[in-house]
Amino acid sequence: MSEPIVIENLTKYYNKFLALNNLSLTVPANENVGLLGPNGAGKSTTLKILCGLLRASSGTAYIDGVDVSTKPEKALAKIGAIVETPEFYSFLTPEETLGYLGRLRGMDGDHLKSRIKEVIKQVRLEEWSKVKIEKFSRGMKQRLGLAQTLLHDPPVLILDEPGLGLDPRGVVEFRAIIEKAGQEKTIFFASHQLTEVTQICKQVAIIDHGRLLAFDSIATLKKKYKSLERAYLELTEAPLD
Amino acid sequence: MTEFEKLRVVIGYEFLKHIRRKRLYIILALTLLAELAVLILVPVLGDGFPDNIMVMAAILSIGPSLATIGAIFFAGDAIAGEFESKTGFILFTNPVRRTTLVIGKYIACYGSVLMLIVLGYLIVAISLLAIYGSIPIETGGSFGLCLLYTGAVLSVTFFFSAVMKGSMSATVITLVFIMVISGIIDSVLMMTGQPHWFMLSTNGDSIATIYGGYETFMGGMGGMGDIPFDFEDPSISLSVLSMSLYLAACFVASLFISNRRQLA
Repeated sequence: MSEPIVIENLTKYYNKFLALNNLSLTVPANENVGLLGPNGAGKSTTLKILCGLLRASSGTAYIDGVDVSTKPEKALAKIGAIVETPEFYSFLTPEETLGYLGRLRGMDGDHLKSRIKEVIKQVRLEEWSKVKIEKFSRGMKQRLGLAQTLLHDPPVLILDEPGLGLDPRGVVEFRAIIEKAGQEKTIFFASHQLTEVTQICKQVAIIDHGRLLAFDSIATLKKKYKSLERAYLELTEAPLD
Repeated sequence: MTEFEKLRVVIGYEFLKHIRRKRLYIILALTLLAELAVLILVPVLGDGFPDNIMVMAAILSIGPSLATIGAIFFAGDAIAGEFESKTGFILFTNPVRRTTLVIGKYIACYGSVLMLIVLGYLIVAISLLAIYGSIPIETGGSFGLCLLYTGAVLSVTFFFSAVMKGSMSATVITLVFIMVISGIIDSVLMMTGQPHWFMLSTNGDSIATIYGGYETFMGGMGGMGDIPFDFEDPSISLSVLSMSLYLAACFVASLFISNRRQLA
């Protein structure tokens, strides 16, 4: 079996700006890996390339052994993703949105209906399932975003700041859902919240200026730098007081 | 699941989007108002309805305007909107080709504009039947040309929607291109006696001139005085060719650009 996520020598330029600099990384099966780095480090760019939203200037990204740039449909069939703050068609309800996305993924009939109910319950949107999304807050859209990643029960979850915009209760509930999903799925998870990453992931990749600075278990990094926070700050060259 | 099955899903949900939009019902109401205005103003301001049924049929043909307004308002945000409002971050991470998404959106837009056009032609047919007791066979030709014109305008709109960053700018630029720029160039070419069959506004005129040309139309309306140049009626076959070219070229270009476009 191939590794769920393999990134090989990924380089990305936005005009002359170098966003990713020869980045290589492998996320092993059934592992939850956090992707850490300061603003502009290249986290979102990496995830967008994995999700087929951006093309790499050079290098390759594989999902379950499938090259995302040459066979995007086959690669995307394996993932559930939240990239940036999710936005949905405002004229649809959560049920209709999930119905649309589920059908695009080949789900249908009673199976789709029951999965929609399950994931809506999981993200606690039951009372809003028939309300048009135009009335939704950012946090509610974020919940729906998570629901659509889980709908088709994909083996790989790619999450970019999934807790953004949630209230404290929402953050706790979110973390619990992701932790549970992480027991049987591979999760690649970009975040600024070190506490959140520590609770969900066993391994982290720290990047800055598009380069991989460290990829190790949290335990090893804590041992080497005393805490994950110190590891992050030292590696990303932020001043330590 | 085949791409064709995915296409059907996309068409269904995109069509749902259009029928839930207020703009559809506003344009439907405007269509009714425009046709009603023609039916009231022509006999009130002139000496009753024109004797020639072809003249009345041509006056009632608001198909080109309907097709233009409908296509632009439904399709201006078709592609640009996915990038601008960031709904593409959800939609494009699904295992479906962008080509399938764009074709699905195009067909759904076409279906929505078709509803407007069918309503417009139903009003034309019922009115002519009520006033003259018959419907000229040319109405069928006019309807066919209008369908092709709709396809061409939609393709132009999709092209601008694929190129532009925002939905509003795509909508405004398409509107200006079709209703202002194309019209001005068309008039200049017409007045200087140059060929103008390739202009979209000329192609739109063919939807009404199929009933007998500019001369019949203006004569039936009481003439337009002495015009210092000759109006050449648009050639139907050249208009068909021109509209087909716009439809194919702009649509293929919009597919190509959409596939290349990145969501940064």
